[in-house]
Amino acid sequence: MSEVVLEVRDIVFSYDDSPSQRILDKISFKAQKGEFVSLIGPSGCGKSTLLRILARLIPPVSGEVIYKGKRLYAPTREISFVFQDFALLPWLTNLENVKIGLANSEISEEEKKRKASGMLEKMGLESVADYYPNALSGGMKQRVGIARAIVSDPNVLLMDEPFSSLDELTANALRGDVVSMLKSSDISVNSVIMVTHNVEEAVEISDKIVVLSNKPTKIKQEMQLKLSYPRNRHSKVFMQAVDKVYELLTK
Amino acid sequence: MDFISFIALIVLDTTASWLRMFAALFLSILLSIAVGIYAATSRKAERIILPVVDIFQTLPILAFFPFVIYIFVFLLPGYIGINAAVIFLIVTSMAWNIIFGVYEAVKVLPNEFVELADLYDMSSWQRVRKIFIPAAMPRVVEQSVLSWSIGLFYLVTSEIFSIGNANYAVKYGIGVALAQLAFSGNYLYYAIGIAVFIAFVVATRFLFFRPLELHFTKYNRVSEESKKHFALHFGIAKAFNYLPKLVRAPAKRLRAISAFRRARHPAGASRNAGAHAALPREGIKNLKIKGLKKGLGGIAALVLAMLLLAVVLRYPVVVHYEYEALVSLAVSFARIWLAFAAILAIAFPVCVYLIFISKHRNSYLLFFQVIASIPATILLPIIVIALKGYALHSELTAFVIFFLSGIWYIIFSVIASSTSISGEIFEVKRLFGIKGKSAWKYIYSRALLPGLITGSVTAIAAEWNASIVAEYFTTTGISGTNVVSSVSVGIGKLLDVSLGSGNITLMIIALLNLTAMIIIVNTFLWKRLYRKVSNTYK
Ligand SMILES: Nc1ncnc2c1ncn2[C@@H]1O[C@H](COP(=O)(O)OP(=O)(O)O)[C@@H](O)[C@H]1O
Ligand SMILES: [Mg+2]
Repeated sequence: MSEVVLEVRDIVFSYDDSPSQRILDKISFKAQKGEFVSLIGPSGCGKSTLLRILARLIPPVSGEVIYKGKRLYAPTREISFVFQDFALLPWLTNLENVKIGLANSEISEEEKKRKASGMLEKMGLESVADYYPNALSGGMKQRVGIARAIVSDPNVLLMDEPFSSLDELTANALRGDVVSMLKSSDISVNSVIMVTHNVEEAVEISDKIVVLSNKPTKIKQEMQLKLSYPRNRHSKVFMQAVDKVYELLTK
Repeated sequence: MDFISFIALIVLDTTASWLRMFAALFLSILLSIAVGIYAATSRKAERIILPVVDIFQTLPILAFFPFVIYIFVFLLPGYIGINAAVIFLIVTSMAWNIIFGVYEAVKVLPNEFVELADLYDMSSWQRVRKIFIPAAMPRVVEQSVLSWSIGLFYLVTSEIFSIGNANYAVKYGIGVALAQLAFSGNYLYYAIGIAVFIAFVVATRFLFFRPLELHFTKYNRVSEESKKHFALHFGIAKAFNYLPKLVRAPAKRLRAISAFRRARHPAGASRNAGAHAALPREGIKNLKIKGLKKGLGGIAALVLAMLLLAVVLRYPVVVHYEYEALVSLAVSFARIWLAFAAILAIAFPVCVYLIFISKHRNSYLLFFQVIASIPATILLPIIVIALKGYALHSELTAFVIFFLSGIWYIIFSVIASSTSISGEIFEVKRLFGIKGKSAWKYIYSRALLPGLITGSVTAIAAEWNASIVAEYFTTTGISGTNVVSSVSVGIGKLLDVSLGSGNITLMIIALLNLTAMIIIVNTFLWKRLYRKVSNTYK
């Protein structure tokens, strides 16, 4: 387990309207094959921006994104994205929304429909396939969002605070489902990079936690977590890990 | 005419037009404040005023101009009557969205204000002056900007209309001056005149409305949200949104409840039973009211039918007029919808380009706001001259005028409403590589639909408005009235000709048919579409 799948080198970024203010200042880190990486940092520090750069939804000012040894210049089907606010198209049914994930695939319409239905079923949503997203609760919307992201069998999954728009109970249930699905072998996703500002969440599911500082945003520290799954939130090692991340964040 | 005196004349003419506009705006604001506050504070008034305003807002009232001018000149002979008619007409174009603005501003006032007023024992007049009017002013200013551009269309068109009839000539006005310049072959001066007109439009926007906006938003900041709203819809969407809400509030709440339960228990349809259990009692009450309404409606229809029969028997010519009006209406309908199809075919790809491909939509917004406020009818004289000599030149003229009258409204409305498309949708498109046919199918056509619908209503209304000059255009020369451009059949032409020949019965019948048609199309096409779309979209 040492094959690097996705790597960023020296990413610098600032928004057009304030070019002098660096949002990201020389960010570099790697995600290995099979690894679950969490990016954690204070809110507003540029986590969403960084994740969008990883997906090449926005170009960095300088620095590079490298996927499997090749430099990336545009979004690729191999790297998918889950949005914090779901980003479902309100005028499409849930099934059609999942099919959007296959818009770029060279398979027949029938095949797309079959795959999308299968994915909805896996997420426990087959009964609402023909509803519009506005009829769903937040947790269910995010399930559709995740189904859309993985229906095209991507290799890397980027998630931007996927559970933070949900209430705690819903978030816990969905997190459990998603993690066990991502860890299982019947899903193509190998590596996951997730943005969060929830320390417990990061410790519960990551192999590696990348802690970001604010103003300018740099990498404070990378922390490997060698705990076995599933992790018990009340165990001593878990709580020690949580304390350590808090310490890094507030230092 | 030397250049200096020409400029002086043009500026004077434009000033004369602008005086009419300011008079109309002032009256519109007074009217709106009175009616808007009344509607917002009295439930009874609300129930009558809102639907009436809603209907008037989508009627092409300019088509009533021949009728209005006839009445006004009959009451107030000569120059005063004509100007009063023009100002009255502009008021009827300006007032509706301002009324909605005032109504909403007062309606959303927190209850504490009323309690405060009670506490200090304020009189009704004090409440109006100290609470309602200050609360409404930002919206009044905001809506006035829109009203101004709609009013300009009415102003120029009615001025242009008036040159065809010596009895009803406005005499001084930019529309009149430009037409005269074009027909005297002085195209350079015509172009300069248009430039002066546009300069007035821009100057008014920035030197008159902008300071007002700044002043009135100082102490009562207009939220970003409401600004967006304002840009969105020329008030029409607001009416569309609001009326169903008002009329169907209980039904909607019920639907919301059941949607909520469905969302939580998607599989358990039986759990919805709770939401429906409350229905029967309400249902019986509704049925009774419905029955009563049906009975009354039946009686009214019977009385109306008998009246109609009496009129027809007494004046058989009415049947002939009705036939003529229907045929004219059908032909104009085809003409206007053909132009509308052309508008869509061009405006839609242009909007997709501006919004999804060039991505500078915000910088275009102000541009189209200004463009949309330059009335297409100001180009009528030059279009007529340019097309003269071609086969079917009158049809072509009508087509071009209809096209130019409507297209900006679509582009403006679509671009304005696109500012509410969430940025993530653009990211989804890029992320999943949605291109070509699927982009049109899954994103463009759907994302732009709400703006397209509200834009269509205004665009088509603008076309109908233009019909009184587009289908039949005359000038007055030394030798009397001079028909420059005339289609063979059309409702606009019918209205003009019936004014010219003093056949007021025919005119009224034509107007009734036009009004009925507009109401039917709005109710059964646009409102349904809009409701359907806005239900799924949010
Ligand atoms: N489109 C934008 N234009 C300008 N500034 C932005 C834009 N989007 C985000 N920002 C700013 O960039 C910083 C980082 O934002 P973001 O990446 O969303 O942070 P996070 O996800 O860590 O909360 C914030 O200060 C935010 O205000
Ligand atoms: Mg974020």
